[in-house]
Amino acid sequence: MIDNLKSTFENFNKNITTKNTISKIRQDNFDKFLSSGFPNKKLEDWKFSDFKKIISQNFKNLKINLKDKKKFSFDNHIKEFTHNKIFFLNGFYNKHSFKYEDDKKIIFSNLKNGPAYEPKGNNSLNLLNNAFFTDGLLLYVKKGYKCKKPLVVYNIFEGNNKNNFFNQKLIVNIEENSELNILVYTINLNSNPIFLNTSNFFLLEKNSLLKLFYLNELSKKDLNYNFTETKILENANFENFILSYSSSFFKNEINCDLKEKYSSGFINGAIFAKKNQHHEIKTKVNHFGETTKSYQKIKSIVDKNSKTIFQGKIYVDQKAQKTNGYQLSKAILLDKESEFDSKPELEIYADDVKCSHGSTSGNLDENSIFYLMSRGLSEKQAKNILIKGFLSDAVETITNMEIRDYFLKKIEKNVNEYK
Amino acid sequence: MLKINNLKAKIDNKLILNGLNLNIKSGEIHAIMGPNGSGKSTLANVLSGKKGYKISGSVLYEDKDLFKLDIEERAQKGLFLAFQYPLEIPGVNTSNFLKTSLNAIRKSNGKKQLDALEFLKVVKSKAAALKIDEKILNRQLNVGFSGGEKKKNEILQMSLHEPKMAILDETDSGLDIDALKIVADGVNTLRDKKRSFLIITHYQRLLDYIKPDFVHVLMKGKIAKTGCSELANELEKVGYENI
Repeated sequence: MIDNLKSTFENFNKNITTKNTISKIRQDNFDKFLSSGFPNKKLEDWKFSDFKKIISQNFKNLKINLKDKKKFSFDNHIKEFTHNKIFFLNGFYNKHSFKYEDDKKIIFSNLKNGPAYEPKGNNSLNLLNNAFFTDGLLLYVKKGYKCKKPLVVYNIFEGNNKNNFFNQKLIVNIEENSELNILVYTINLNSNPIFLNTSNFFLLEKNSLLKLFYLNELSKKDLNYNFTETKILENANFENFILSYSSSFFKNEINCDLKEKYSSGFINGAIFAKKNQHHEIKTKVNHFGETTKSYQKIKSIVDKNSKTIFQGKIYVDQKAQKTNGYQLSKAILLDKESEFDSKPELEIYADDVKCSHGSTSGNLDENSIFYLMSRGLSEKQAKNILIKGFLSDAVETITNMEIRDYFLKKIEKNVNEYK
Repeated sequence: MLKINNLKAKIDNKLILNGLNLNIKSGEIHAIMGPNGSGKSTLANVLSGKKGYKISGSVLYEDKDLFKLDIEERAQKGLFLAFQYPLEIPGVNTSNFLKTSLNAIRKSNGKKQLDALEFLKVVKSKAAALKIDEKILNRQLNVGFSGGEKKKNEILQMSLHEPKMAILDETDSGLDIDALKIVADGVNTLRDKKRSFLIITHYQRLLDYIKPDFVHVLMKGKIAKTGCSELANELEKVGYENI
């Protein structure tokens, strides 16, 4: 696969950009990627997800398309709440509508013509993204502007093209005293499996607020690695929720730096993995500022030979006194073939802190099933109610009511349709 | 309504019910009293279909073999068990659950399912009649409910289901006098010629408010004595040992 990827990259880099400087940076990223290859289980961050094995089992070759198709019709907009929209189609910006906002206060462009991102760190999938990214979103919410409606980034894959490898970026800067809600909604209407490698960066300036939601409706053979890095400045508040139930492989890696005092980060998620799915949420919350707060609640249901993983680390710097950190992950396994791995970690260098973590796993409670059945519900109905209730408990943490209700509805549908 | 003949039940090879006979006719209220460990809750569990028991003997419910019915079928056919310890179900809205449950029963009986508005009207009037605070409807099912609230919620469900045969498993335990009256009202309101009750209790107190037709004393998995409602008063005075 790697040899093939080399020639794919050569072609890609020739065609994607005309600027030599950018081309050079992409090449540097690719070279650095090649020195380590796809991450495998020998790496601590990937010990429960051997991505090298997963990708080689799912794909023979990775192919990239550079013809951005302009025309497309997509009717499946979210109807449950009004929102601003940006569309990406097969990896490229397509169109947008910001009709609810002041267009002087919300500035965006796509990333099709650069810039390029120098290779940094050892995350080989990030390097791969830097080498191959086709497009993305660069967005600024200007100082003091509170967006009136959420922004839905529709990331759509469609058409029977033979491409299966997509790399995109989302770069968002919420300036001082500003607010934005974003839902990144990724949909594959294509029958060919895809590997989607996304890298997202958020800067939250003083007193700002970002609520970020991830929802994927990919097909059961798709793979998605979704990387998120957040820098949070004084008194800014970051809220993230991941609803993870589609695609064969879905790994969300979230690094959240609480850089200045009074900043806070909330990372919550619900995973419903069934029929050989492999879903992971990995978090790293760094408390660098004083009186910072973090909260994490991840709930998983695992069934039919699936695997879910939660790796969560809270790091408290010696300067970060009066830190408050909380982390909880709970899983219910519905059969013996399923697996849940949890690695909670605390690393604390300050003495005046309050940090806790907990992790549990178990089965659906037989007595609860009996209780519900004694009220006339079938076993299937009773189990579904318990599954929905278990996951809803995490969804209830969402403070945007429209999106909370929308996610509850998605879970309801997903659980009810599951056989 | 319910004919229990030589019922035996074992759990983990321990014999709990040991040849129990009981015949409950339509419109009758039977009370079962007995010391701890005499098999009262096991009887309730076995009748409502809880798994894990090894059972022999027979139970006829409306002249049909009860053991051929699944747990939910028993409920759908009008058998209701008010739990001694109602379970907390996190993430499940009480009102939604009550609606789902009522509609499951209505559906199986060929009745029209209620929509959200129709249901709300019904449940609110039932709650008001029983003096149950309707705020519990918006909370998660039994989660963080006090002991009394959980039991009231059971009685509310009983009054919604309007069962033919209701079993109350120590519903009065741990209740204050006001809550006790709500439980008794729940039973007395539903009491009619076609409906039967089996009330399992430790104390005579509840029977001051619900006059049973028969009182049975359950000891070592069998009915040791049967009497009219005065038997409860006698038990209160002399205790089980002297029966």
